[in-house]
Amino acid sequence: MKAVGARLPRYDGVGHVTGRTRFVDDVRVGKTLWVKALRSPHHHAAITRLDVSKAAAMPGVHAIVTHEDIPRNVYGHLEALGVPGDEPLLAAEDVRYLGQPIAAVAAESEAAAQAAVEAIEVSYEEKPALFDIRKALDPDAPQIHHWGNVYPHYGSYNHRRVRKGNIDWAFEKADVIVEGVYRPQAIEQLPLETQVCTVVPEPDGRLTVYSCTQAMYFSMGVVAAHLQWPLNRLKFVGGTVGGGFGGKVDTATDTICCLLALKARRPVKWRWTREEEMLCSSTRAPWHIELADAVTSDGWILGRRTLTIHDAGAYARFSPYGLTKHAFHHSGAYTIPNLRFDGFVAFTNRVPTTAMRGFGVTSVSFAVETHLNRVAEAIGMDPWELRLKNANRVGDTTGNGVTLKDPSTVPVTLAAAERVGIELPAEYRAMTSDPRGGDLLPEHLAAQQNLSELNGGGH
Amino acid sequence: MAKHRGRGFATIEYPTGMNQNGDPSQAWIKLKPDGRVDVFSGTVDIGQGSKTVHTQIVADTLGVPYDWVTMDNTNTDSSAVCTGTFASRGTFIGGNAVRLAAERVRERILDIASKELEIDPSDLEIADGEVLAKGSPQKKIGVADVAGAATYNYGELISGSSTALKPFADVDDATGQVEIEPHSAISYAACVADVEVDDETGEVTVLKMVQVYDVGRAINPLLVEGQIEGGAIMGLGLGLLENSYPYYPSVDHRGGEFGAYLGPAFADLPELDNVIIENPSADGPFGAKAIGEMANNAQPPAIANAIHDAVGVWVTEMPATPDRVLAALKAKAEPRRDGKRVIFDEQLSVRTVSSNGGEGYWGVEP
Amino acid sequence: MRLTVNGIESEISSPPLTPLLHVLRDELDVTSPKAGCQQGGCGTCTVLVDGEPRRSCLTPVAAVDGASITTLEGVGEPERLSPVQAAFYEKYAAQCGFCTPGMIMAATALIDRKGGPVERDEVLEALGGHYCRCTGYVKIVDAVMAASRGEVGDVQDLPVSEAGEPSVEVHGSPA
Ligand code: FES
Ligand code: FES
Repeated sequence: MKAVGARLPRYDGVGHVTGRTRFVDDVRVGKTLWVKALRSPHHHAAITRLDVSKAAAMPGVHAIVTHEDIPRNVYGHLEALGVPGDEPLLAAEDVRYLGQPIAAVAAESEAAAQAAVEAIEVSYEEKPALFDIRKALDPDAPQIHHWGNVYPHYGSYNHRRVRKGNIDWAFEKADVIVEGVYRPQAIEQLPLETQVCTVVPEPDGRLTVYSCTQAMYFSMGVVAAHLQWPLNRLKFVGGTVGGGFGGKVDTATDTICCLLALKARRPVKWRWTREEEMLCSSTRAPWHIELADAVTSDGWILGRRTLTIHDAGAYARFSPYGLTKHAFHHSGAYTIPNLRFDGFVAFTNRVPTTAMRGFGVTSVSFAVETHLNRVAEAIGMDPWELRLKNANRVGDTTGNGVTLKDPSTVPVTLAAAERVGIELPAEYRAMTSDPRGGDLLPEHLAAQQNLSELNGGGH
Repeated sequence: MAKHRGRGFATIEYPTGMNQNGDPSQAWIKLKPDGRVDVFSGTVDIGQGSKTVHTQIVADTLGVPYDWVTMDNTNTDSSAVCTGTFASRGTFIGGNAVRLAAERVRERILDIASKELEIDPSDLEIADGEVLAKGSPQKKIGVADVAGAATYNYGELISGSSTALKPFADVDDATGQVEIEPHSAISYAACVADVEVDDETGEVTVLKMVQVYDVGRAINPLLVEGQIEGGAIMGLGLGLLENSYPYYPSVDHRGGEFGAYLGPAFADLPELDNVIIENPSADGPFGAKAIGEMANNAQPPAIANAIHDAVGVWVTEMPATPDRVLAALKAKAEPRRDGKRVIFDEQLSVRTVSSNGGEGYWGVEP
Repeated sequence: MRLTVNGIESEISSPPLTPLLHVLRDELDVTSPKAGCQQGGCGTCTVLVDGEPRRSCLTPVAAVDGASITTLEGVGEPERLSPVQAAFYEKYAAQCGFCTPGMIMAATALIDRKGGPVERDEVLEALGGHYCRCTGYVKIVDAVMAASRGEVGDVQDLPVSEAGEPSVEVHGSPA
């Protein structure tokens, strides 16, 4: 019997349907303390005073941590990929979004921890906030990030670029130029399980971290960096998560729980309320995308000019990565020989945005696919035919110079048309992903074909 | 005042694995003395089913029954590195890690079986938990006996480990060009949405979505369907319902209550029709490509295009809430034409909204 | 106060206004009801109180003093799944599994109440306030309808599925 291709039952299915699957919140450890966080009530402010002494003296309070307790407070999750760190684990001087954590308490009960949070003495000096990414580079915009209002570390550029072919030629040569603006929104990842973590100090000095992370080794690296510990002092236990969708790559609770468990010498547990999950955990990013397509009246897309601004919220997190992925896929499932793309990661005083299903590409798929229908309308062409004509084919090169080996734009589009009974002209129905030739290889595409690369191994 | 039907579609592509690569997954496998298989992988199952998929891959790579395979992804002491469950990398990269580890285990099984059967390993194959001589299947030995012999006669632990890793693809910051493929594979999909738009309330109802996915190889079709269906409803939420900032860019009226947030519910469920295409990838386990992340990308534009088809207006700020649809119906905006330029949405653009014509964004060097 | 939970009677020591959810999870260690929102908005905490589905996060324990509570642990065993559990298992109606306890409790109550086949609309209505972020609901609706019709295989047979060639629709792929 072959297993691959079979409708075998879920490996963990019996556990799920009998309520026996153990999620992090179901882990039971004796003498566990509860964690609560002090969070910024302002969108943007300087912290002028922070005194936890009264709170620390309250009954049932076992530990409080602030930025001073963290061996390395600022650690960038993508430092290994060249994205420097900018976000403190606990705010030190400034708070840059409503809900940003400043201190965390471990106490005998959830109520005692909350009472201690409320007893922490803290004062702020409010600063002007920025929310509209379109205005982030205006001369009068409030300065909200020490790097400036856009991420400045794409090599020597403050934006991610794609330059391919000759964009001026394409716009010159075009019969029609179609321009549009697309604004996909922020949404919640909304897993049914909120952020949750339990950390147990072990007799040998290690910490066992029961984590809802989507990435155990990644999160372990993040915790180890903040603690400045070798990896073998940590043991992450996880692998079973009540929904993630990208939001549980953030390592939102693990490090603070480790710090509190060490300080209190007791197991600690932090389960975010739904309200915290919705207001303080990161969202999918909002995006602003401006497209201009240079097209011929017979439906060739000669070139595309793109400006994208990605709303990162207050800190970079994974946004520089997400924008690069966006840039690499901004021509969609089509072959466009001349491209000019400029993408910016802009900071605002909202909760930092992060990965979510389709990261970086969901936004550009919306923009491109809606835009193509406008293009089709502008030149009076059927939108199915427009797509099939410009579809990726074997041997085409992508915006960043990759030769495609096994694209499926044509088969999925044709299958969809067939399934809903769209009658396409025979020449379109007969299309495949085979390398271009004849009418489908006009001069402007022929110049970029690299079929030899395909046969010679290429990329 | 009436309800109008419309149809829209979209075709999309999505990469498998982390953009620019460099994201390893490792796995190791050992046999118990009765031939049962322990797999250790760090891949987190967030519900997508990686434990199931990896078990299937290992079972077939080794040639043993599915229920011989135990999957331990519970902790970082027993498992090796998995970069994580994101970037649609679980089936492809995590799956390749367990496949490659299983291939090594398979070689060890064949080596020991070869000694027991006195047949060259290249003339042996494994099926249903037995090592058989190719062409003369009456000469055989159970994998259980091989594992027992390894443990008790040869003093050997049959095990294997491996890493699936594609090297980091550097990008030229001036041009965005790469030297090596910055992904593991690319998957494609198309979605056709049929909607009904009420021009009095602005409400949009998705009636049906037909979705076609090329996943290379559906290792477990039920899990693939689960991704298609779950993604469809998430895409519907993106297209029509959900918004963390209902008055974006303003932060006003951001809600902290589950009940106040318009996540898609049972009542929003349209008719769904799934089509799976298998155009195998060269490098994926059994030809698989990814599906997880792309599964909510095609619906929002398909829905926006369907709304246009129904009532003739473009809603390009997501989601297409009743307010926005009504505002668009009222405005009946036509694009501005300037020579060969056809200009939509000017009021939303950086040039319009910024105080200096968007100089900071538009003024970059060519 | 006393509660009978899955047939076992216990004396309850939590304060009277403690949500039933916390009594179950923290005092009695019955962990299948989940704290998805604790706002009454998601349905993951649903249990049966004298046979009726209730959101345990919004139910003070004093309000159900003396009642008989059924949670997912009391519905079936791994070796002896109830029809609804078997249908959820067979039809992949659980992905991450976090909404599943609440879904199965609500579905069990619906099927018990109806006593015969339930229709799609009835599932949408009865489970309407239960959220699932993973599945897109399709397979949950299928599972509940199948369970109400007794259309579930012998669970013992489930792990063995006929396979070989893919059972999916394969359209022509390019060269
Ligand atoms: S936890 Fe009770 S309804 Fe969400
Ligand atoms: S299976 Fe994950 S929320 Fe329903």
